[in-house]
Amino acid sequence: MSETFEPRILSFLCNWCSYAGADLAGVSRLQYPPTMRVIRVMCSGRVDPGYVIDGLQKGFDGVFISGCHIGDCHYIDGNLYTLRRMAVVQELLDLSGIGRERMELKWSSAAEGQVFADNVKKFTQQIQELGPFDPAPWSLSLSALERTLNSPRMRWLVGSSRQLTEKKNVYQETMPEADYQAIVREAAAEEFEKAMISVVIAEQPRSVREMAELTGLPVYTVSKRLNELERKGQAGLSGYDGRTPRFLGVPV
Amino acid sequence: MKKKPQENFYGAVMVVGGGIAGIQAALDLADSGFLVHMVEKSPAIGGVMSALDKTFPTNDCSMCILSPKLVEVGRHRNIRLLTLSEVESIEGEPGRFTVTVRERPRYVDTDKCIACGVCADKCPRKVEDAYNQGLGTRKAAYVLYPQAVPLKYAIDADHCIYFEKGKCRACEKFCPAGAIDFNQKEKVHQIDVGSIILAPGFTSFDPSGMDVYGYGRLPNVVTSMQFERILNASGPFEGHLTRPSDHKAPAKIAWLQCVGSRDMHEGANPYCSGVCCMYAIKEALVAREHAGGDLETAIFFMDMRTHGKGFEQTYMRARDEEGVRFIRSRVHSIEPAGPGSDDLSIHYVTENGEIRDEVFDLVVLSTGLEISPEIRELASKLDIDLDRDGFASTSSFQPVATSRPGIFSCGAFAGVKDIPQSVMEASAAYSASAALLSPARNTLTTEKSYPPEKSVADEEPRVGVFVCHCGINIGGVVDVPAVREYAKTLPNVVYAGDNLFTCSQDTQENIRKTIQEHRLNRVVVAACTPRTHEPLFQETIREAGLNPYLFEFANIRDQDSWVHQKEPERATTKAKDLVRMAVAKASLLEPIDRLQLEVNHNALVIGAGVAGMAAALNLADQGFHTFLVERSGVLGGQANNVRTTWNGESVPDFIADLTRRIQAHDRIDLLLEADIQDISGFVGNFTTKVKQPSGEKTLEHGVVIVATGGVPCSPQEYLNGESDRVTVWHELEQLFEKEPERLAACDGVAFIQCVGSREPERPYCSKLCCTASIQQAIALKKARPDLDVTVLYRDIRTFGQREDLYREARERGVLFIRFSVDQKPTVEKVDKDGKKMLRIGVTDPILGRPIHLYVDYLNLATAIVPRPVEDLAKMLKVPLNEDGFFLEAHIKLRPVDFSTDGVFVCGLAHYPKPIEESIAQAQAAAGRAARLLSQETIDVEPIVSVVDQDLCIGCGLCEASCPFGAIRLVEVPGKGYRAENISALCKGCGVCAAACPQKAIDMKHFRDRQIRAAIRAGAERI
Repeated sequence: MSETFEPRILSFLCNWCSYAGADLAGVSRLQYPPTMRVIRVMCSGRVDPGYVIDGLQKGFDGVFISGCHIGDCHYIDGNLYTLRRMAVVQELLDLSGIGRERMELKWSSAAEGQVFADNVKKFTQQIQELGPFDPAPWSLSLSALERTLNSPRMRWLVGSSRQLTEKKNVYQETMPEADYQAIVREAAAEEFEKAMISVVIAEQPRSVREMAELTGLPVYTVSKRLNELERKGQAGLSGYDGRTPRFLGVPV
Repeated sequence: MKKKPQENFYGAVMVVGGGIAGIQAALDLADSGFLVHMVEKSPAIGGVMSALDKTFPTNDCSMCILSPKLVEVGRHRNIRLLTLSEVESIEGEPGRFTVTVRERPRYVDTDKCIACGVCADKCPRKVEDAYNQGLGTRKAAYVLYPQAVPLKYAIDADHCIYFEKGKCRACEKFCPAGAIDFNQKEKVHQIDVGSIILAPGFTSFDPSGMDVYGYGRLPNVVTSMQFERILNASGPFEGHLTRPSDHKAPAKIAWLQCVGSRDMHEGANPYCSGVCCMYAIKEALVAREHAGGDLETAIFFMDMRTHGKGFEQTYMRARDEEGVRFIRSRVHSIEPAGPGSDDLSIHYVTENGEIRDEVFDLVVLSTGLEISPEIRELASKLDIDLDRDGFASTSSFQPVATSRPGIFSCGAFAGVKDIPQSVMEASAAYSASAALLSPARNTLTTEKSYPPEKSVADEEPRVGVFVCHCGINIGGVVDVPAVREYAKTLPNVVYAGDNLFTCSQDTQENIRKTIQEHRLNRVVVAACTPRTHEPLFQETIREAGLNPYLFEFANIRDQDSWVHQKEPERATTKAKDLVRMAVAKASLLEPIDRLQLEVNHNALVIGAGVAGMAAALNLADQGFHTFLVERSGVLGGQANNVRTTWNGESVPDFIADLTRRIQAHDRIDLLLEADIQDISGFVGNFTTKVKQPSGEKTLEHGVVIVATGGVPCSPQEYLNGESDRVTVWHELEQLFEKEPERLAACDGVAFIQCVGSREPERPYCSKLCCTASIQQAIALKKARPDLDVTVLYRDIRTFGQREDLYREARERGVLFIRFSVDQKPTVEKVDKDGKKMLRIGVTDPILGRPIHLYVDYLNLATAIVPRPVEDLAKMLKVPLNEDGFFLEAHIKLRPVDFSTDGVFVCGLAHYPKPIEESIAQAQAAAGRAARLLSQETIDVEPIVSVVDQDLCIGCGLCEASCPFGAIRLVEVPGKGYRAENISALCKGCGVCAAACPQKAIDMKHFRDRQIRAAIRAGAERI
């Protein structure tokens, strides 16, 4: 880690609490590192999980999201959705090897200028310790993460998390939290594998072995996921290279 | 049929004085259907606040928060501004007054003046600049200050060479607009109004007569107002902290408190000016900020009076974190440090009697506030009673009513007060006027109209960027010209400029012109924060024919220059990045149509203490049906324990009168023993469920006023709860009233102040307690002059004219002993000569030794704490501060509003305060609420969600995740179900957009492509 490295952090602040708290830090002249590039949103619940990946892809060193404390949301419970979504994003960041430490979700109220300033200091330090984020070597992972988070399956699972675990379904059942977490983890892993395959066959046809090499997945896993992609019409046989079949992705 | 008299009432109000109080009253009136004539004696409005550098306790830039209001007054259709004008006389009755106003000539035609400043450039006569407190000069042709409203020059006839000698007229010769007009004559106007609000303000005490401080003789002794100008970026030293004698940067500055205040000498004032402790702390903090932290600062004081919301915390921060020294002392004199030296030696006596000297580079006299002879003369002309100190006589129960019916007061005219209190009173005075004149509402006003909106749909984006210096708030850290030049290089930017204050009125004109000249169709302002200033700029671009949503803000002050003060280069890089992000988003912005909602004209007031009762009565008097909901079975709240106000008015009589009026009022629905179960809806359309013993009720209303009050706490300290001789607040006087024999048998009574207050776990001052204990001490001394009465205190905070009580108590022999928080008194039960007594141990600060007192009773002044209101705050979606009091929208200029529209606060729920302040705040809250209720429809934020039904697959996730029911599934023939927006219910959070599996939902103004453009732009490196 070089001493001069100054992280550049993409930051989403909700209008009512965190953005106001950041202004209060200013009014109180609380000094913190000039690392934040803030985008104001009305609610942290507006932050699409894809924005985190987008930020890293474009070259930010970290992504910081802050909203009202749980229970204080100006929109009643928007931040509970944020909590769910960002947990999945962090799970996926770990899965990809980029690591959850690149992203932070913190609550701060309109009265907590100091809390906001402290959060910025801590996260800046955390990113400084990790070093700069170069998206180039991670381009496959990042594209795959973007695809994963955009997949209807993940968006459905994440979007319905609170319906599944907090509210009763038509059979008067709620899903235990642990079961839900297990399903999400499994789905995230599968979707991420499929997404990686989709990315490598998006532009040119590839053999299963090539796919395995490029994605780092075992050949067996590649064939299994490729099969699933084929069934959904998202990949297809494009021809043969000698006796080796090659597959090409079908744009969704 | 005979006409009722009030049908002849004039729907106009005159506001006398264009300071912050007058401005607030004028805006409230003009926005709620009354024509306002604002009379200001100087050439521009703004008053004292315009000359201040920062405002306490947040150290907000004064001009920055005032300027939007100045601009609003300047361009309001229903405000007629008369500058250089004074009221001569008032004839008539409440509802129908005729006022004679004398307008002095400006010698400049305001229609022609373009404020280019050539007249001042060419004017050969230099005049001492009173606006800069004599620290600089101006010309005889001048503008009061750079952001003045109206921004029109004036010729000062008292100093103009032409008026003295009959020739010169250089200004006339060079004026490019032909605006100079030496033929202007004085004009006399006769103006019909229904009521009058007097807000003439105060003047700062002139210490010239006090020889010991050497003011006027020693150049480096300045007044606090002079110091404000020294700090100010548009002041005589352009914001460089230097001293007058040699323009060197001072290394050591002292403030002397109570100059001209709390002083019985001839020419000084006996009262406490109430604001000087806080402004001295503020000036010390701001000076340290200017000097970069090495500056030594010391405040010489008697009692530190930091009794307002957030004040004590600021005091502690100054003392413990910023190293400001606080020296409890009496200053004897100031002399030059040596022969020929510009430095100053302060001779002072410490609390324990030691005589000391200390040398400083600069001394600031914290001069008090007083009423000028001109204002006293005005009051006598208008037949308004003044009190001994020259303030308008008002009752605690009608804090804004002067002695003459139909004439109201606000601001420092009726007693020293700070800005929030002045603003509250201004809204209260408006409210009182509106109650009087409600039948004449909307009879003389006109609606604002805008030019037709230009269609920008088919145009390429043409972005204009305006970068603000904000005095030195931004420009002192961020390289603003560099940011401006950088902005010019960004895609779609066709114009970039910088301004000293982008919020000033002339800049609004400049923005409008620039939009025309450069055919801008998007505007970016890089300045303070959108939270306070976005509405101002949206209004400006609307006036230039642009949809207000074609505007984007880059926050380069609150989130940049203020938080990276020591890193100017990095702050500049960040500012460029933020501007680039704003431009990227702005290029993709789209116009959004207005969204109007009908307003339910009922009001809900929560809590029927004095504040709630006063608010409900005012609303009902203004013609609005009001639900007054009270949890207990009685009216009056905490005030039921109080016998008199600080100046002796009967509180029980007042409550009885309020109760009678509320019960008789046909527009008030009183709900006792009522619990609020749920509040839903939004401004103009709230629904509240209330549970009473008789059953549940549902109330429909357009606004909510929160007046839930506060209660004294009862900490386990000083044997509280362990001895029946230890009482809290009013319990002791109630006990003596019930059992007078106890008082008769008494030898000594003590009071301990700040119990549970001003300590780390509850840092705020409860404001009322010093006065209450001293009042009780005096009452005891009156009943039993031989009784030993002792008050153990930390600082006596008898602010304003309450200082009289402190003086009286000492004269009557009440003993005051100070203690410090780390050496709190001890209390034990003892038998003394066969009598059960309490023994109090305390370290006497003068002797520096422990002493013991024996008393029969100990009364504790415990902290006032808010009621538990977390649930209510959640239902209303409004914030609480760390102490549990409601957090208003802006501590200075929106003291009764919340950021959430349609919800207001008053009374102890906001902060501990005396009864007259609660009433003023209640009337202010009622007034602010009535401003909404008086409209048929209101505009609500049209930032709402939009479903693309072609992409929607009808999964229903959005419907399930919307807590407002603003999106639902509808059957579309041939397609099954599709989501549909109900925009009136949509709050614009965007949860649905981030949830939609098909990405079929987007948010207006926060569209996916707009956010992604900002992300992309933010990641670029210069």
